[in-house]
Amino acid sequence: MKLFAIALKDILRSIRNSFFLFFGLGVPLLATAIFYFAFGGAGSGDGFELPVTPVQVVNLDQAGAEYGGFSAGQLLVAFLRSDALAGLVQVTEAADAAAARAAVDRQEAGVAVIIPAGLTAAAFGPGQGAAIELYQDPTLTLGPSIVKAIVGQFADGFAGSKIAVAAAAGELEARGLPVDDGLRRQIALAYAEWAQALGAGQEENTNTLLQVRAPAGPAAGSGGTMPIVALIMAGMMVFYAFYTAVASSMSILQEHETGTLARLFSTPTPQGTILGAKFLAAGVLVALQMTVLLALAWVIFGIDWGGFGAIALVTLGTVAAATGLGILINALLKNTRQGSIVYGGVLTVMGMGGMVSVFTGKMPGSGSAVDLASLVTPQGWAVRGYSFLLQGRGPLEVLPTAAVLLGMGIVFFAVGAWRFRRRFA
Amino acid sequence: MDKAIQVRDLHKRFGDTHAVQGVTFDVQQGEILSLLGPNGAGKTTTISILSCLLQPDQGEALIMGRSVVREPLAVKAAIGVVPQELALYEDLSARENLDFWGKMYGLRGAELRARVDETLHVVGLADRQRGAVRKFSGGMKRRLNIAVALLHRPQVLILDEPTVGIDPQSRRSILDSVKDFNHAGTTVLYTTHYMEEAQELSDHIAILDQGKLIALGTHAELVRIVGELDRLELAVNVPAETVLAPWRALAGVRQATAADGVVTLLVDDSNQALPGLFETAAQVGARITAVDIQEPNLEAVFLHLTGRALRD
Repeated sequence: MKLFAIALKDILRSIRNSFFLFFGLGVPLLATAIFYFAFGGAGSGDGFELPVTPVQVVNLDQAGAEYGGFSAGQLLVAFLRSDALAGLVQVTEAADAAAARAAVDRQEAGVAVIIPAGLTAAAFGPGQGAAIELYQDPTLTLGPSIVKAIVGQFADGFAGSKIAVAAAAGELEARGLPVDDGLRRQIALAYAEWAQALGAGQEENTNTLLQVRAPAGPAAGSGGTMPIVALIMAGMMVFYAFYTAVASSMSILQEHETGTLARLFSTPTPQGTILGAKFLAAGVLVALQMTVLLALAWVIFGIDWGGFGAIALVTLGTVAAATGLGILINALLKNTRQGSIVYGGVLTVMGMGGMVSVFTGKMPGSGSAVDLASLVTPQGWAVRGYSFLLQGRGPLEVLPTAAVLLGMGIVFFAVGAWRFRRRFA
Repeated sequence: MDKAIQVRDLHKRFGDTHAVQGVTFDVQQGEILSLLGPNGAGKTTTISILSCLLQPDQGEALIMGRSVVREPLAVKAAIGVVPQELALYEDLSARENLDFWGKMYGLRGAELRARVDETLHVVGLADRQRGAVRKFSGGMKRRLNIAVALLHRPQVLILDEPTVGIDPQSRRSILDSVKDFNHAGTTVLYTTHYMEEAQELSDHIAILDQGKLIALGTHAELVRIVGELDRLELAVNVPAETVLAPWRALAGVRQATAADGVVTLLVDDSNQALPGLFETAAQVGARITAVDIQEPNLEAVFLHLTGRALRD
């Protein structure tokens, strides 16, 4: 009972301490939120999401009988309205060029695409030119660049058409065959149809020239994806969990300096109970912190941590390793002043070392040299465990990592307890 | 009467410092014994051994018949310790502190609540029990510091200079409380370097100096050590050292020591000594600005035994 009374007192004092609330819960969430917003909310598991750009389109290019009712302008409008681009642009047709530009000036649209009247003729007729005008909001960069790339890709298609017509006409004329405007239009239309078919083929992924394949593995949304924000959140949780453990265990030194530890020793309470209670308090605090952060990360950032069993195993291992390290580090310190140095230096270096695979883009568990180097620290093992959870691995798959963490915790605690017993004997 | 505390030939070293050298004394159940001595005399070290916080290098100490070395948990259950420095959780309330410390002494449930209520009332903190200790005055903290040691109604209460650095009113309150605990049957071991406290509280007084017990007895017994000597305190208008040597050389002057501009002397007869003291002072260009003639007291005893004032 005394064990729980001491632990409860320590937990109560920590929870009342704004330092714990700020650094234990606030900072990890804040740091992850910064990355979350920097990447446009990439924590949902669907990968990187670009902002949708409102686009005003004016099509002055009308279909003519000489091109069999075909209009390059209409084709561009249809292309911009296609489902494939729905996640990138939101198209509205304006009455005229002035109205489209005015919408951009009012910042109701990011870009105005003004298709000139002679676009079809310029596309098919030799020596003719027509320019598509892009009128953009100067305060924007990403949206207009995307629209420019889309329109540029479209224009390149027609440039290809003109090249195809010129090449075909040149070949026919070289063989003494007459090439009139009608034939030129037929060749251009044939190219346009082929280009359209090619575009449709890309959408359906049946293009014989380019096949886009996803790597084998679980489908997106089933826990198999590992968005960068989720990995950063895992790293932050681990990073600050070790801080919490060391800070909480430092209550031994604080109590030594304020005289309450000596007073505790003057009560009929075995020394092992006092030390065990300190370990318990630090462990409960870290577990509480991890649980709250896991839940908040799920609610706020939509991070899917996987099944309960696997989460419990990795978290238990992390709590044990962090708490054991906290006891060990404080057993090696003479006073709380030295503790500040450990806080600012040793723990930060160890934490960064544990997260090095995240920072260098080498996924924990990938087996890369950087990944293996991170395993020198317990933080590295903990980050590895949470990255496994993010990959959707089950309890049996994370068990070895959890066991290593648990073993580290036991060894750290045993050495720390031995040091403390010698010190206060 | 049974012995509550038995100390035999106690020794404790810290490196080259021999902090406690062969200290031996007994405290009977129900009495107050004061350990009197200047800073560094070995009082706190002795108390730390009796509180099971330090192991003696040699000798034996028993509390209620239990060895502090072999049966520390039994000894700790029998004693209540009031450390010299405040040992409280300042971010907890007075009640939370007492609740916690009560649990450390094995109190639970309704009994714990009743003891906490009673103790808060005894030390006059019942109306401030919910307030954070950090907002308490120094005197209130001292009282709470004592209250922690009383919760489990210890058979032996050990107080290590509990009145250091507090206002006279709080000091009075603490001294009265100690007497009340003693009247209720608690044996008290009290350390102080204030002669007046030892004189007021104690059944027996043990005088310590440089780790050694130099005198032990009742106040009357100790005073008899200096016999019929008178104690004089003279203030002079020059550095006290100017007159110290000439005064020591005078007939009838047994001891002379100077501190804080005041010269303390033990003389055979103050009436006969004073003219010579005035005359000698004038010869060295000094003028006596104040004279205080005192009956023999513990200060005189300490001066007589060590050649130094208790406050040195």
